[in-house]
Amino acid sequence: MTETLTLTLKDRMRIERAVWTLDSYLRNLPRKSRIAKRRELRVNLRAASADVGAHEALRRLGNLRTMAAEYVVAEYGGPGPSWIVTTYFLIAAFYFMFWLSNARIDAFRSGAIAANPHLTGVFHVTGVAYVLTNDTLTFANGKMTEIGGTLLPLVYVCIFALAVLAGRLWRVVPALRHRRSLGVSNG
Amino acid sequence: MYSSQVTSTHDPQLLKGVLSLLLLQLLAQRESYGYELVQRLHEIGLSDISDGTVYPALARLERESRVSARLVSSHSGPARKYYRPTEAGYAALAEGVTGWLAFIEIANPVLSQPIPNQPAPPTEEV
Repeated sequence: MTETLTLTLKDRMRIERAVWTLDSYLRNLPRKSRIAKRRELRVNLRAASADVGAHEALRRLGNLRTMAAEYVVAEYGGPGPSWIVTTYFLIAAFYFMFWLSNARIDAFRSGAIAANPHLTGVFHVTGVAYVLTNDTLTFANGKMTEIGGTLLPLVYVCIFALAVLAGRLWRVVPALRHRRSLGVSNG
Repeated sequence: MYSSQVTSTHDPQLLKGVLSLLLLQLLAQRESYGYELVQRLHEIGLSDISDGTVYPALARLERESRVSARLVSSHSGPARKYYRPTEAGYAALAEGVTGWLAFIEIANPVLSQPIPNQPAPPTEEV
């Protein structure tokens, strides 16, 4: 009896659910690898379902999170890179740096306006070495415009370097090198 | 083939240590795809091993270049990924089997002795 005859629509849907659930746990794997794993798992689950039924086949698969973790270790030889951690780190780091930069100027403006609500004039605020450029603040009747105060390249370099560390992105390199040496075997 | 009498008594950690060797040996005997390997493991008595342990183990062997894979079309569905050991796989298998046999040669005489009800007192006790 072929799988086509054995598997009901419900079985197929349950298999697909398991396949895509596993896929969602493999989000840190390269796309090609995920596709290959989805295909292979689908084929294996269909064969197992035809043999012992979809319910039992899925039960025998065990915990999908554990399985996904083992796939990640298999791919990277240890905990894999985390693109999500990298993204969160970049967002948090840039948010903090821009907030810090603005807080500095806001504090100056609040002090100046408190002293003279109709302040008019040009002020220069010294930047922070290697971090922020100098600021030129122009007040016209208490209204302020700002030029400068941007983050320097070193800050960007440091943030990106820390993001690489936080997300363990260096682990991508050996996996990519290995895949290149194998050629496209997984499709 | 062995019977499936020795089931659900396997320490998963112990099994993990030899799973690669078992997979390489089975693949050296016959090219197989994932689920077929699971069935063969069940047939030799490891009926409590989960499919979810075997598939990532195969992926690891492939990453380590110990097995190679090829797609073989199946009359009963999509193409299946069949694995076979590479030269590095055969070398790892030979080395692993030698190590395993040397280990059980040491461990077996100790572990096959009857388990005492309680430990003997220390030899230095007066």
